[in-house]
Amino acid sequence: MARDVEVVSSRAGLAKSAYAGWAVFIYVFLFAPIVLLVAFSFNANRYGTFPFTGWTLDWYRQVFNDYQIKDALVTTIKVALAVTLVSTVVGTAAAFPLVRARLPFRSGVRIGLTLPIMIPGLLIGVSLLILFTSVFHFQLSPWTAVIGQSVYTTAFVMLLVAARLQGFDPALERAASDLGANTFNRLRLVVLPLIAPAIFAGALFAFTLSLDEFIITLFLIGGHNTLPIYIYTQIKFGITPEVNALASLLLAASLVLIALAFVIPLVVRKTRQALRPKPA
Amino acid sequence: MSITERTLSRSGLLKAGAAGAAGLYLARGGGARAGTFELEGTTLNWLTWSDHYANDQLKAVAKAIAVQGRPQLFSDNADAYLKIKQTGSQFDIVSADGLWVPKYVASGLTVPIDLADFPVSKQLYSIAREFPFWKAGNKYMAYPFSWSTVQIYYNPKYVKTKPTSWHALLDKKYAGKISAENIPTDMMAIAGRATGAKKPYAMTSAQISRAKAFLQELKPNILKLASQNNEVVRALADGSAWIGITNLGTDDRVKDAGGPVVKTAYPKEGTVGFIDSENMVKASKHQDVYAKFINTAEQAPWIAKNFLTNGRPLFNEKAYKILVNTGHGARARRLLYNRPDLALKMTIKGPASNEQAYVDAFNEVFGA
Amino acid sequence: MGEVAAPAPPAPPAEKESVGERGAGAGQYAGFLPAVVLYGIFFLVPLCLIVAYSFWETVDYNVVHHWTLDNYRYFFSVPTYARTLWATLWVSLAATALTIAMAFPFAYWLVRYVPRRFQGLLLLLVILPFWTSYLLRVYSWLNILGPGGAINRFLLWTGLTSQPVSFFLYDRPAVILVLVYLYFPFAALTLYASLERFDWNQLKAAMDLGAPPRTAVTRILIPQMKPGIVTAIIFVFIPILGEYLTPQLVGGARGVMIGNLIVNFFSGAQYTRGAAAALLITGLIVVLLVIFRRSLQVEDAYGSRR
Repeated sequence: MARDVEVVSSRAGLAKSAYAGWAVFIYVFLFAPIVLLVAFSFNANRYGTFPFTGWTLDWYRQVFNDYQIKDALVTTIKVALAVTLVSTVVGTAAAFPLVRARLPFRSGVRIGLTLPIMIPGLLIGVSLLILFTSVFHFQLSPWTAVIGQSVYTTAFVMLLVAARLQGFDPALERAASDLGANTFNRLRLVVLPLIAPAIFAGALFAFTLSLDEFIITLFLIGGHNTLPIYIYTQIKFGITPEVNALASLLLAASLVLIALAFVIPLVVRKTRQALRPKPA
Repeated sequence: MSITERTLSRSGLLKAGAAGAAGLYLARGGGARAGTFELEGTTLNWLTWSDHYANDQLKAVAKAIAVQGRPQLFSDNADAYLKIKQTGSQFDIVSADGLWVPKYVASGLTVPIDLADFPVSKQLYSIAREFPFWKAGNKYMAYPFSWSTVQIYYNPKYVKTKPTSWHALLDKKYAGKISAENIPTDMMAIAGRATGAKKPYAMTSAQISRAKAFLQELKPNILKLASQNNEVVRALADGSAWIGITNLGTDDRVKDAGGPVVKTAYPKEGTVGFIDSENMVKASKHQDVYAKFINTAEQAPWIAKNFLTNGRPLFNEKAYKILVNTGHGARARRLLYNRPDLALKMTIKGPASNEQAYVDAFNEVFGA
Repeated sequence: MGEVAAPAPPAPPAEKESVGERGAGAGQYAGFLPAVVLYGIFFLVPLCLIVAYSFWETVDYNVVHHWTLDNYRYFFSVPTYARTLWATLWVSLAATALTIAMAFPFAYWLVRYVPRRFQGLLLLLVILPFWTSYLLRVYSWLNILGPGGAINRFLLWTGLTSQPVSFFLYDRPAVILVLVYLYFPFAALTLYASLERFDWNQLKAAMDLGAPPRTAVTRILIPQMKPGIVTAIIFVFIPILGEYLTPQLVGGARGVMIGNLIVNFFSGAQYTRGAAAALLITGLIVVLLVIFRRSLQVEDAYGSRR
């Protein structure tokens, strides 16, 4: 539809190439730093700067032998699983009254909901630091980090599930109620199965957010490391290009997953089509 | 679902699946104890600087005695002090400079040790076992590690005249060309030295103001306040800095990084230096393992390796002999490894008498 | 979902409870309970603590409950701190403006000139860098911007300069540049979504009625894009205000933003001063959120941030 609006003029052709040129620049702009990042993971120079003093796979070897990376990875995953559990349960539960209950101050509620997202993560980390150390006198640990991250991720889950719930057809529930289902069964058998994809998406989103979360965790994790914190320490304290190797591995993992995310449904669809009985 | 939701859920699904699988594998195969965040054996959380350990060293120690050192890095003694104060038993070992050690002990944060429990201490120079400011009855407050002066390194290609005074660094043509470590207390002390304070760590308010003014003038010339001396080395190596304020051995490290030749200069007003150490945290739950860890990790071969990587002198005498036998004697002597007595002649880093005023003054100049 | 149309139910008799609608009764709020506990204790209380702390004093590393405006007074009395606050504002504005300015032509190109079947893929390519760690994306710029980095090497090689130019790193321009890099995919996504919903037939109709293309665009397209642009601005500007990592890693001594000040205060156990600084920026953010609350629609707030 957009491309129907063809204007026959010499300037249009020029405009089109100009835009395309801009797009090319944008893609170069977006990918150049990453390409360099990967290139430096092979640089023999242990300070990770130019000049290239030689090619080596040493940094990759180090990544696989590094106790600290393994430790950080395990902690990161455990924290992410805990955070996902908390935010999915709390967020989904809260999405229902958000959409269905009579709420005064709708605007205020809307602002309140986005507050945990829009407030700098720095503030969440710092305020919880004060709460835990000065008021509760808890010791900082991955569990305090789980709480901090959950404050941030639950809001997302809430919004995602609420968005789905808003579009949910109340007639379905009414029908179920007419057929004798009480509230609990209605939820269990009608509502939840239908909004399950959104809950699932929310859970996965929370998981992804937690994996990469840095600033809140930095303040609340105490003596442990998560992968982002480990990477940050490596960058800030400038050790070796091992962090480049780690970065390249993480990038490769993401790429593989995204490729799979597109290839697998395609394969499934094709297989299903192939297996479908041919119409007579 | 919108395109974002679709993309997110699919790749998220696979990410979660892969991460979960990896996690399970590591949890079982990697020796993690289920339900906790700890790994097999004992883990000692070690708050330290990046040049106090090497990854292969920690690995070998873990293999030998099933005690894993887990380092967390910091740059300023004041930050470490606060962290230990706040985190209770989170950390087991903390590295500290010179006169900070008595402060840790006085505040009940670390515990003096009996050197008899540490056979590896026999490898140290005798002078290192008898620093007067670390004596606590017949115990010793810390396990000595390394020392160095803090001086000026400059790139002669761009810095034509050798800077013989701290004030030479104020020259406008060095705008944005100086790299120093982000240690407020010590930077203020250096500024105090530059402005004539006799006791840089016990300045009066007037002296503090003068030091602050010096730093204010220096600020436009500062490229970056580095978190560890690696960064200063890097800045000198890739040419972004012409001048570095950092410890001994930087010239070798810059050369190793493929950088230019840099030279040393000692400002006439004098400078500060550090003597650092490892300390046992009082609230630590693994005090029984501390001796074992130190005895294994601080052995001469590791110390010798540490010298070759980081270039500043250490207190392990046996390591010096190893260096001489492996052909690095000349370098060691050039960097004063065999002269630990010189360490006592420095103005040793320590806490300021009025720490808050120092930190405030520094922050008011540099922000963050 | 929703394809199976339920037979229209007869009007429910008065005794039956209303189903799936904004009904009465306290039970409808039950789902809020866990969220109230989580956010009450771990979000609202800490925020109130911060507010309180900003009006209290720190004496010798201990917080004294003595009400005072000193923290704020001190903050504005130190030139470096006050300057950092203003610098944060203009850096955020500059970065936001640049991001939107760069993202808009790109989104326009994507919607207008690219065949529909490729749009998803090309958009995905833009989001791809998002999937690497935020930290790493910042770190990758250190290799490009430094004097030994790609830009300077290129300039030296082509002979445009004879010495490395240190303009590119450890200063405010570097911070702005990296921020644009980090937030661009998000702006592009938001603007794309907004542009995609636009009915291009309107432009065709306008031109059929005799309007020149440029007028059609400015009088029909842009006004309808405004909500999308405002949303994009809000979701880029506000997070940038609270940025800490980027100025920390590429800002050097001159590119400090208020996030760095806050972290520095808290690391140094200067809780009361840190709280005051934190409140200053948070107050600004809350004010902005209230003013632009209409842009915070659940449907428009894409949910994918950072």
